[in-house]
Amino acid sequence: MFAYIVRRMLQSVIVLLVVGLVAFSMFRFVGDPIDNMLGQERTQADIDRLRAELGLDQPFPVQYYKFLKNAVQGNFGVSYRQGRPVSTIIAERAPATLELAFVSGFLAITMGIALGVFTAIRRQGIAANLIMTVSLIGVSLPTFLIGILLIYIFSVELDLLPSFGRGETVMIGNWSTGFLTASGLKALILPAITLGLYQMTLIMRLVRSEMLEVLRADYVRFARARGLSDRVINFRHALKNTMVPVITITGLQLGSIIAFAIITETVFQWPGVGLLFINAIQFVDIPVMAAYLMLISVMFVSINLIVDLLYYAIDPRLRVDARAT
Amino acid sequence: MILRNSAIGIAMLAATSVQAADFKWASTTDPQTMDPHAVNSAPVLGFLNNVYEGLVRRDKDMSVQPALAVSWEPIGEGDGWRFKLREGVTFHDGSTFDAQDVLFSYQRASGEAADTRSWFAPVSEVIVVDDYTVDVMTTAPNPLFPSSIANWMIMDQGWTEANDAIVPDKETGNYATINANGTGAFKVTEREPGLKTVLVPHEGWWGDVEHNITRAEFNPIQNPATAVAALLSGDVDMINPVPIQDVARLQEDSDVEVIKGIEARVIMLGFDHEAETLKYTDDEGKPNPFRDPRVRKAVAQAVNVDAILATIMRGNAEAASQLVSPAMSGYSAAHAERPAFDVEGAKALLAEAGYADGFSFGLKCPNDRYLNDEAVCQAVVSMLAQIGITADLEAMPVRNYWPELREDNYDMYLLGWSPGTFDAEHPVRFLVATPNEEKKLGSWNFGGFSNARVDELLPAIQAELDETKRQAMLDEVAKIIQDEQVYVPMYVQPLVWGTRSNVELTQRPDNFFLLRWVTVN
Repeated sequence: MFAYIVRRMLQSVIVLLVVGLVAFSMFRFVGDPIDNMLGQERTQADIDRLRAELGLDQPFPVQYYKFLKNAVQGNFGVSYRQGRPVSTIIAERAPATLELAFVSGFLAITMGIALGVFTAIRRQGIAANLIMTVSLIGVSLPTFLIGILLIYIFSVELDLLPSFGRGETVMIGNWSTGFLTASGLKALILPAITLGLYQMTLIMRLVRSEMLEVLRADYVRFARARGLSDRVINFRHALKNTMVPVITITGLQLGSIIAFAIITETVFQWPGVGLLFINAIQFVDIPVMAAYLMLISVMFVSINLIVDLLYYAIDPRLRVDARAT
Repeated sequence: MILRNSAIGIAMLAATSVQAADFKWASTTDPQTMDPHAVNSAPVLGFLNNVYEGLVRRDKDMSVQPALAVSWEPIGEGDGWRFKLREGVTFHDGSTFDAQDVLFSYQRASGEAADTRSWFAPVSEVIVVDDYTVDVMTTAPNPLFPSSIANWMIMDQGWTEANDAIVPDKETGNYATINANGTGAFKVTEREPGLKTVLVPHEGWWGDVEHNITRAEFNPIQNPATAVAALLSGDVDMINPVPIQDVARLQEDSDVEVIKGIEARVIMLGFDHEAETLKYTDDEGKPNPFRDPRVRKAVAQAVNVDAILATIMRGNAEAASQLVSPAMSGYSAAHAERPAFDVEGAKALLAEAGYADGFSFGLKCPNDRYLNDEAVCQAVVSMLAQIGITADLEAMPVRNYWPELREDNYDMYLLGWSPGTFDAEHPVRFLVATPNEEKKLGSWNFGGFSNARVDELLPAIQAELDETKRQAMLDEVAKIIQDEQVYVPMYVQPLVWGTRSNVELTQRPDNFFLLRWVTVN
């Protein structure tokens, strides 16, 4: 067990290092931050001076090494654009993204399961068919378009919800929350739907097909023969057995909800880390880009690590193999 | 009768009580700092003009008017300028403005770490004469100095020193990066970089209040479609800019208004004047045709600017004949004619230069710097194809673009130039003068154009105090630039803002948005 964990941890560290190396080798192609930092009336001497000050004149492996050296001490550098420590900026922006991800994840799971069960049970019904058709839109339309569409319907035409931003927020310690104000909650609705729609349709379709399969299984037929009510059969027996793959997928999707919030955040000007990253790319704010990419890869690597460890705990065969080698 | 009068009285009372207004506006870029000396860029200086003030300021029509200085006069025969300062001005934190603050702000804004130091290249010394008199000594006569410092903003020495922000620091930031303490009409009360900035009127402001804003909030909105939606839904009262393709649609909406004007920025094509051979061509090693002025003229005649303006700019821009627009001082009225669109003439010029069969070359273009920049380049490519020269277009984000131009990786390129001083001398200094690192000349003259007469005239123009003589020299330079076709000026970029229809404001040609001219009805 211990050896397995250590091995997986080492692999994770290597993945992280490679991600960082690839990221740093790419920054050169993102562009040159110098022109954004100096005004129109700069001279070549100013350019050279600033480049040397920022260490941009050094080859990227050296820049990467310096970044790593500081990062392990918890220092992610200072943003070129804002002139503030990157860790402070990310800590400020993270609550917005996490709250949005939480709400859209919650929406995706509850709505996805409920609609999935409904469409499986009422397979032939008009409503179920309608939901299935509409859900196709959810999978096929790009997030960007859905967001703009929702803004036009609900804020321009109907004037019910705000078109951008996060509304009023309340500080609880270092955490800014939009859950406690009316405008904060209203501002959450459209971005949460936009971000969660794809995951919702995914979960819904997964639940539906699993459910249809399970409903054909022998034990369901026996349960019917025993004269159990539909409700007990559908929810106690069938739904429970569809949950295993759903939980796996949902767990993996959690990471992508946070990572793909970038597009939703740009459309709604949602002040989260995704928007921060987009701004950083536009400005070639290397410290922010590096920190964000490392953070996201740490997140994905740890989710995978946890999943692996859970498998290990659940699946006895892995333990046997480990002992044999 | 009496009854009616009192009714009117009540109505008027009601009208005055609606006067107070909350105002929200959005733009694509957040000013990256609140420090007026750290970054010399339009979004920063434009925003901070609401908060800080200089000795002089620009009025609605860009003319220079007194601000923290009440008057100024030349010292001796062009030795410098004496500024009489305004008395009774207070900073937002209540401290008093005096000559020491001016000296301090000079030292801060001209220091090694300041991005604004190039403004003070002609200055040799600043002397405090008394509490409200300051002498700015220049190394050579400098008639334009007072109008070149409208964006030099004065900070309070006490506040800046107390908060340890004596040197502007754009790399790691300091107190002045997020906080501001100016003398301007508005003070910053809340600042969340990249999210929002809240301003309220400065109670002790010395000027006459023309606005009726009680609180103003700025939100950066990067996505143009979101910004348009925010304006349409009334979540914001003003956006800058409005995407060109949305102009017609917004004009149809009665709740919003589109305000159009002409920016100071001239969009032009530039050439490589130095390279022996073309860099992006099918036939390697061919000599660089753009060194021949006839070829450059042919390009100028082949580009149908009117068609570009009608289709791509949808009638929102104006053709340009020079490196500055007619609204700038020093514009040469004698050279207002731009080469007529003439495909046959262009072909004849090419044949004369020995390129009857045409040639192929590389055109570099930004795709996120100017309005519809990539579309304009595509149009130029197809227009040049008509005279038999084939351009290989490469468009890229501006963050890759400038390094590419500095590396000389182009045969022809697109450039926009907005003269910081609003004078025709500015583009000559940066775009036409022979590049000279030491004298800080020609720093944007990527193509390396060089003309001895222009280099000779430039210092004379800079030092000439007599308007007529100065204009004569500027006319001569304009003629050389046109005869040599150093650049192909195409059009003056439009300025398109959107507001709610109950908002009145002033659009200044430098794209600065000033809250003190806003009325919300």
